[in-house]
Amino acid sequence: MDKYQEAFDGIIERDERVEPRDWMPDEYRKHLIRQVSQHAHSEVIGMQPEGNWLLRAPSLRSKQVLLAKIQDEAGHGLYLYSVAETLGISRAEMLQQLHDGKAKYSSIFNYPALTWADIGAIGWLVDGAAIVNQVSLQRTSYGPYSRGMIRICKEESFHQRQGFEIMLHMANGTPEQREMAQDALNRFWWPSIMMFGPHDSDSPNTGNAMKWKIKRESNDELRQKFIDKTVPQAEFLGLTIPDPDLKWNEEKGSYDYGEIDWEEFWAVVKGNGPCNKERLDHHIKAHKDNAWVREAAEAYAAKTEGELV
Amino acid sequence: MKITIDNDLAKFIIRLADTEMILGQRLCEMCSNGPFLEEDIALSNSALDLIGRAEELYKIVAEIENKGISPDDYVYRRNEREYFCLKLVEQPNTDFAWTIARSYLHDVYANEVFTQLQNSKNENLAALSKKVLIEIMYNLDRTRDWMVRLGQGTEESNSRLQEAVNHMFRYIPEMWNWDDIDQKYLADTDKVKANWETEVNGILKASNIEKPSDDPFFMGDYRDGIHSEYLGHILTDLQYLPRAYPDAKW
Amino acid sequence: MKSGDKVWEVFIQKKPGLPFKHAGSVHAYDKKMAIQNARDTYTRRGEGRALWVVPAEAIVSVPLDQADAFFNPSEDKIYRHPTFYEIPDGVENL
Repeated sequence: MDKYQEAFDGIIERDERVEPRDWMPDEYRKHLIRQVSQHAHSEVIGMQPEGNWLLRAPSLRSKQVLLAKIQDEAGHGLYLYSVAETLGISRAEMLQQLHDGKAKYSSIFNYPALTWADIGAIGWLVDGAAIVNQVSLQRTSYGPYSRGMIRICKEESFHQRQGFEIMLHMANGTPEQREMAQDALNRFWWPSIMMFGPHDSDSPNTGNAMKWKIKRESNDELRQKFIDKTVPQAEFLGLTIPDPDLKWNEEKGSYDYGEIDWEEFWAVVKGNGPCNKERLDHHIKAHKDNAWVREAAEAYAAKTEGELV
Repeated sequence: MKITIDNDLAKFIIRLADTEMILGQRLCEMCSNGPFLEEDIALSNSALDLIGRAEELYKIVAEIENKGISPDDYVYRRNEREYFCLKLVEQPNTDFAWTIARSYLHDVYANEVFTQLQNSKNENLAALSKKVLIEIMYNLDRTRDWMVRLGQGTEESNSRLQEAVNHMFRYIPEMWNWDDIDQKYLADTDKVKANWETEVNGILKASNIEKPSDDPFFMGDYRDGIHSEYLGHILTDLQYLPRAYPDAKW
Repeated sequence: MKSGDKVWEVFIQKKPGLPFKHAGSVHAYDKKMAIQNARDTYTRRGEGRALWVVPAEAIVSVPLDQADAFFNPSEDKIYRHPTFYEIPDGVENL
């Protein structure tokens, strides 16, 4: 074993952080670029379902909160693109991979936000699931990713509350609002618990990711954590989680839950979800339509050699 | 519920509030549609400034009117003819040049108006004006820079900006049709116009943009609740939920 | 230095008198845009009172394989640290 590999193994072994200029195995670098760029794309594509309701937010307060939340998501996408850039890939390359369909993003954002209650469900469930994952990633072995996650977790702490607040208003509102809230939970529950990915036994990338401490907890462990913290919140709202097999397991000290529809999961991952095409088309169109703006900025910078206006 | 505004100062302030609100709503449309991620974030910041500013202005209106009407009521329960925003801010985001030209021409106006309102006899309005001037100056700095970048950038960006400016300028003359209410609460309306023209002429020149003619237009005045057709569509989105579920609380 | 879409490193000073700390990076086409993008991205929650942006390509760092040569020699110069010195009891303000 050469001295570089040895130094790297030592960093992982001692639970220290790998930094951008440290030597790292190619596979480690590749795995991180894939995971971090996917994470960044998820933040950015995730702006769309919520942005869909921004114009129609029903109060000044909810409009400002939602706008601040979507803005955070853009910011977090930006932090994560920066993390990936420290690994030697440019943002332009990452966007190209997204547009070519080579890079994925979280499938949850391929589900439509049909009613205002969906904005509540997205904040409560989708951000709730994302936070469980991101809290765990604060201890990831790659330094910039770990620091990015610490910052993101701090900033996102209000996101889930924003969603829960909407659900609370609707669950305690008129019969129509209550119905909308239950309907949103019905549609977002299963896609949310699918966010943690396949069962550990079917997850091909987990082995190396755990060995290198990129991932600190397995898909199933994280999923269980999410379910255990969310069920009592649903009870508080007086809403019913659409899983007849969901029940408390005294022995395990956690909830048992029904079988996930993996056929749906893989279909959406492969592009056959309700909004896959719309999400990607939207991103590509915004990028293409604005190419002239980027060219203008570039031409102006060249003319003025980047001097102040 | 029919919302009427009786006090002159409240009538004056709601024009500003509606203008900031509708421009904020227009900028919300840019979410996930910016030329790159950093600009998306910046446009959201501007929108947050505008909507927050509108809310504070509606609070002052509500306080003066003292009829138990909330800022949300003013935003969500008035129709097209009961809105008093400048037509300029109703104009669409046809492309990024339209977004920038519209914001820039507005920001210069807002900068002049709120500068004078720092000395308003209404203490709340004076204090708010001092506070919002800081964010207006920042936004103006940004939109001014983009005017120059687009104007001087490429042939295409210059012609797109020229087209946007030509369109927006149709909605400038109504700004200067000052009525008695404007004259009552703005210390020097001539100065607002003169300063606006000096600033804008300078930047159009620096951006290699030709100043459109200032022919008079006959389109009715925003002070009478006369708008472009866009406003109806803007309100349709904005007010959908409270209108569809009048008993619901959000 | 090439023009166009560039990465800029962002440094924030939280309060006057404190050191500038690295906050992250942004993309921008010119200096003014870089400092505005840094403000809009990294000070949304009142994180700072002053900002620096530096083109990432202008930053020079120690090559990894020379790290030992750069940093180890300072490790044994313990006389640079105040704890190296023994001060008799009764001497104050030193």
